[in-house]
Amino acid sequence: MEIPYTVNARPDTGLWNAKVGVWLFLASEVMLFGGLFSSYIFLRLGADYNWPVGVLDAFWGCVNTLVLIASSVTIVMAWASLKMGKVMAYRIYLFITILCALGFMAIKTVEYKGKFEHFGVRLTDGTLLEGHFPKEGYRIEFEDVTKFTLELDGVYPESNPKDFLRDCTTPEAERKFLNAAGKEVILDEAGLNALRLEAKAQKKTSVELTSTKPLKFSIKRGAFGFIDPIYSYTAESIFFKDNTQTNGKLVKDSMTLEVDLADVRDCADAEKSLAWHYLGDEQKAKFIALRDEKLAAFKKSFGNKEDPYKSPHFKRHGLVLKVVGGAHAAAGHAKPEHGGAETDTTHAEHVASGHDHPSVVIEKKDITFWSNFTPKYNTYYAIYFALTSLHGLHVVAGALVLSYFLFFDGKLLRKDPEHMANRVEVGGLFWHFVDLVWIFLFPLLYLL
Amino acid sequence: MADTPEQIAKHVKKYLFIGALLIVFTFITVGMSYVELAGPDGGQTNNILFGMAVATFKALLVALIFMHLNHERKIIYKFLVFTFAFVLGMFVLFILCHDNPLVMDAFERSKSALEHAHYHHS
Repeated sequence: MEIPYTVNARPDTGLWNAKVGVWLFLASEVMLFGGLFSSYIFLRLGADYNWPVGVLDAFWGCVNTLVLIASSVTIVMAWASLKMGKVMAYRIYLFITILCALGFMAIKTVEYKGKFEHFGVRLTDGTLLEGHFPKEGYRIEFEDVTKFTLELDGVYPESNPKDFLRDCTTPEAERKFLNAAGKEVILDEAGLNALRLEAKAQKKTSVELTSTKPLKFSIKRGAFGFIDPIYSYTAESIFFKDNTQTNGKLVKDSMTLEVDLADVRDCADAEKSLAWHYLGDEQKAKFIALRDEKLAAFKKSFGNKEDPYKSPHFKRHGLVLKVVGGAHAAAGHAKPEHGGAETDTTHAEHVASGHDHPSVVIEKKDITFWSNFTPKYNTYYAIYFALTSLHGLHVVAGALVLSYFLFFDGKLLRKDPEHMANRVEVGGLFWHFVDLVWIFLFPLLYLL
Repeated sequence: MADTPEQIAKHVKKYLFIGALLIVFTFITVGMSYVELAGPDGGQTNNILFGMAVATFKALLVALIFMHLNHERKIIYKFLVFTFAFVLGMFVLFILCHDNPLVMDAFERSKSALEHAHYHHS
């Protein structure tokens, strides 16, 4: 069956059908993104923390804006070329548009990866430290672990009680487990099945094991993609995700962070912030110099009329210190307690790699919250990821449609170029809409 | 819309010009975001208003020229009038969380006025 009104106008609307269709679709898209922009307004006005402004790399945001503008021009040129019968030009413009879409997504991917690898740590006095994990980030170490309670018929029957040994640092040859009767137990599939049968016979759901030698555990959160093996822990016990529980002694509970930013906007007494306890007097002196300079500049512009501490602009520039230099010194400063930072790189290597940031060991008692820059971190990143990922999906969808036109619509192009031009116009309308959304996203998320 | 090849050939220059204009305004947006506009909150509100005004202008260029909304059939405008009425409604919803007629907002305003007075005396 021939689809009606693909080229000629329908009498009642005065338009070919697909155009009416795509505008109805775009109207619903306006509502979709409109709802998210409305959420942005609510989240920003209601934020009970300092809304991050200018924290993303504006350079790459700007490059992506230019990429999308260029692609908007090329797609409209592709349509115009086709209308004028210049098929080769049409193909070239369409191809450039698709390349722009791929370029946009490539840049977006790099930006996202950077967020996943960047961490923020809120300290108990309100100070915020940001930075990267060196080889390891958060590390928990247990010693004298001797007693194990293995859940064999728990809530999660699929969990394997062997998993808890993943982070045991005692060599495998030295691990020996005895059951309640003093019989040696081997924790392989057969051994576990025997334990299950035994527990079932005794109408128990768990079994207690003792290790002949105290074991050591070292659990760390390192690079992106690492799944935590533990559910929770206290000073004398670990609860593993496979439902195994142990006793033990917590000997290390701290984070190593290469600090690149110290934000004391929410700290009651900025000069006594924990940031300087960790980063040392050199950074504190830098901070005081920066703050006083910005205070003087503020006074110069506004006199005594305005309170600088009510100006987001002053706070953003005067109370947030970019921490550079002293990679070696600060690591030494925080070292004495609990073994300190075991940095594998020397100061010179840090400087050479362009990451001259002090590596500090932050104790658990000083931390209220930490996360990488994912939606969990704060509502800014939540709405950032919601908006940009939805927008990214639109870019991908648009690229797929345009690629279909380029690679699979050759037959229609030869048979009915006018129909093909209408298809490109509809695809182009969608593409312009994607650009239009980005025109608002870029300043809202990157600049303002 | 009846775009003949001759008419379209005339549009091509316009498309390139609008593309260049969009790039210029992108740089203006980036540049102005580093400029501290005057204002009691360090210019943040004014910076946002300026940035959004430029973005709206850019969006209008895209919609009117690239998306041909400067010469479109009536039915499309009918769709869009409804869409934008609702979307604008969503954008101003936040007003409800600032001025609630059911409680006494004067209480909060008087509190912040006190704080302000306190700062000037100290």
